[in-house]
Amino acid sequence: MSDKKDINEPNIIKVEGSRHPINLTKDRIINFLQSVGFEAIDGPEIESEEYNFDMLNIKESHPARQMHDTFYVEGRSRVLRTHTSPVQIRGMLERTPPLALISGGKVYRKDDDATHLPMFHQIEGICIDKDISFANLKSLIFKIVHELFGEDNQIRFRPSYFPFTEPSAEVDILSKEGKWLEILGCGIVNPIVLKNCKIDHELYSGLAFGLGIERIAMLLYEVNDIREFYKSNLDFLNQFK
Amino acid sequence: MKIFYKDLSSRIVGKPSIEDISKRLFQLGHEHEVHDGIFDIEFTPNRGDCLSVNGLLRDLSVFFDLNEDKQLYQEQLNKLEIDFENKFVTGCKKISFLKVDIEEELSQYSGELKDYFENLELNKNNFFTDISNYVAYETGQPTHCYDFNKIGKKIIFEEIDTKYDFNTLLGKKISLNGRNSVFKSNENIINLAGIVGDMSSSCSDKTRSVLIECAYFDPEIISGKAVRYDISSEAAYKFERGVDHNCHENVLRRFLHIIEKHSTIKNIQFFTKKYDELPIKSIKIDVNKINSILGTKLTYDFCIEKLTNLGFYLDGSELCIPSYRNDISNSNDLAEEIARIIGYDNIKPKRFKIDSIKSGNIDEIDSKIKSLLIDNGFYEVINNPFVNNNEGNDLIKIDNPLDVNRNYLRGRLKESLLNNLLYNERRQKDSIKLFEISDIYSFDKITEDFHFKRKIGIIASGRVDKNYKDFSRKIDEKYFAGVLQKISKDINFKFELISRESLDTKIKNKIVYLELNIDEIPKSILDYSSAITKSRPNIIYEPISEFPSSTKDISFSVLNFSNLKELEYKVLNYEHINLKESFVFDFYKNNDKKEIKIGFRFIFQSSMKTMTDNDVNKILDDIIKTALSVSDVAVPGLDY
Repeated sequence: MSDKKDINEPNIIKVEGSRHPINLTKDRIINFLQSVGFEAIDGPEIESEEYNFDMLNIKESHPARQMHDTFYVEGRSRVLRTHTSPVQIRGMLERTPPLALISGGKVYRKDDDATHLPMFHQIEGICIDKDISFANLKSLIFKIVHELFGEDNQIRFRPSYFPFTEPSAEVDILSKEGKWLEILGCGIVNPIVLKNCKIDHELYSGLAFGLGIERIAMLLYEVNDIREFYKSNLDFLNQFK
Repeated sequence: MKIFYKDLSSRIVGKPSIEDISKRLFQLGHEHEVHDGIFDIEFTPNRGDCLSVNGLLRDLSVFFDLNEDKQLYQEQLNKLEIDFENKFVTGCKKISFLKVDIEEELSQYSGELKDYFENLELNKNNFFTDISNYVAYETGQPTHCYDFNKIGKKIIFEEIDTKYDFNTLLGKKISLNGRNSVFKSNENIINLAGIVGDMSSSCSDKTRSVLIECAYFDPEIISGKAVRYDISSEAAYKFERGVDHNCHENVLRRFLHIIEKHSTIKNIQFFTKKYDELPIKSIKIDVNKINSILGTKLTYDFCIEKLTNLGFYLDGSELCIPSYRNDISNSNDLAEEIARIIGYDNIKPKRFKIDSIKSGNIDEIDSKIKSLLIDNGFYEVINNPFVNNNEGNDLIKIDNPLDVNRNYLRGRLKESLLNNLLYNERRQKDSIKLFEISDIYSFDKITEDFHFKRKIGIIASGRVDKNYKDFSRKIDEKYFAGVLQKISKDINFKFELISRESLDTKIKNKIVYLELNIDEIPKSILDYSSAITKSRPNIIYEPISEFPSSTKDISFSVLNFSNLKELEYKVLNYEHINLKESFVFDFYKNNDKKEIKIGFRFIFQSSMKTMTDNDVNKILDDIIKTALSVSDVAVPGLDY
């Protein structure tokens, strides 16, 4: 930003700050999804087990519910949400189909090492309508990946497992170095989840997807160490103007 | 799980190459790496049925024809009269026992048993335990071997809820607590069910009489126990993911076949009991539904053929699910099976229109306040919420923190931002302006309600800016108020001056801090229009140097005012890999003397080493040379 005053005086250059690269990435994805019809919604980071697990068909015996994977608070009365999916559960309970919801924010898992952090960010989307299919999901995922990484990027779908989607898939992109890199998980909403949200699963079906924002930001900006995002180092932040 | 390539290829007609099998495993969703002829496969948690050679072959059989099954012991099994009491039927719905007596010292391992230990480089334990491990690898069903002469006549399976010190056969002492499912004999716990046996009843090389237990446990009673007691247990891993309740006799006959190949069997007795109905599950086959889920046009015959290859079978219009497929319960599951077989990448994408109600931006105020601060040189940060100091009664306590220093959720943003500021001061930054927006949670211990507020914390210290007007000005309350006036002139913001007394720093600059609830920010902020358009596209991060930076100032004299812009342009656009920053920090125009004095600050830093004066001066000399190419420019005091 420059403010020209006098031809015989230097420009007064004011240093601009910057948005955090995680929020920059998050906003970019949310803005794109809003442009194709998704409604952005928000929800609490401290959640009940019911919304964080039960409603999403994550059974009591699922490893994610163990104390070593999930943070429990105040005598196990709540959890720090382990994903942004409970926001979608709330969204589905408050609305009737057709609906297309997107939510992004902080999530927590009991991990802390060179490649995992106890707090990270996710964006998840869900779209419920009549006759939503896996082929539709693929079309949307292609759009998202092309928006983020360009149309030339090669992508592949792999079968995976999430309790809340069936079929489930993971999506990889091919790096410049010829390595497949996982970028998101997705699938057809499990009818059990629709039923839990009082949606007629015989009439409606849905697609869902989730992206780890740190992962996307690391790929977009070529940041190799996830911990850089949280050092608050001005030399780092200054690069995202 | 590690599976040796030859264990798969030897069972497949035509012995496909390692690459062929690898490709098909990926298509089926079995992510893996291949090293030295071994597939290291990461199975998804719903596919417990694949945790064995046989299980994986069942999945691969949709692509390959298989050779005949491995040989089983064919003779009749006599009944074992065992005094077994199942006091926890919901935890164990079916159990089988096989008692085997062998005659002589054991010979060297041969055949698949020998290959298993050699190929996968595994440590041997004792004859029976080694066969048990191999059989689990081959069939997926864990078994447990007791030395028959070390256990009492009666065995009880029950759930206990008492403390008990337990010596595992791995030599580890654990203290059982909470609910645990166990086998007991003579009042002693001889096995933590489905996880690990105890030392006293375990087999050794001298064991000649063995009791092999083969059970179907409810995954719920096993789940999490191995982690709780820090035990690495292949058996627990398999039981947690579900095993085949219908495999006991075949598994034990396979066990017997391997014993028979290595030793002379004197006596065999078999016991099996089902305590609850384990019905064959079935689904009404609806190919239209499968096509609707996948967006495909597959025929009924195609779907049936593929599902039959996976072990499903038709009973009228019902499709019966094989007993080892605990993960199948509805049409979506069947659709996934079909999709895996045809390949996810072979399903053609189909466009669709999203028909939903659109809404406004949920974070509009956040967005506007961010723009205002960024326009004024503030950087957004994000901090972890975990803290150790209980600043108030309403902080939320983490039941299972990462460590004792991170056992609460923060109740304010101040400490995080102050730490960020001090971190940057230590990195030689002299103008630091940061902000963070975050939800802050609290817990009311009386009402047991959780509350949250969306807050913004803003902190700053040091120089106001890096231009000649603001370079000497220091950030204070007045500066802060000036920035925030753009939100509202009517609000009296309560700034805090953070004392440096208790801080580990010699810097004296004021630290100004403000924390606000986002909902206290007046709506007038929505009228704020940012001067910054958008961030650069295609930003590529350049790794930060950990070497110290070096700062140099040079003052130029300009006698012809009209040449100032050229000088400014040339100096500020000078590029060198180690020149990180340059700006005008001083400017004085003396109209009487018709001379301008302009001071530039240069910050140097190498990503390879600590720069010496010589390194810096070389670049500086070149900058000066560039500057002096402009007419009527000089460097006072320097002989250039």
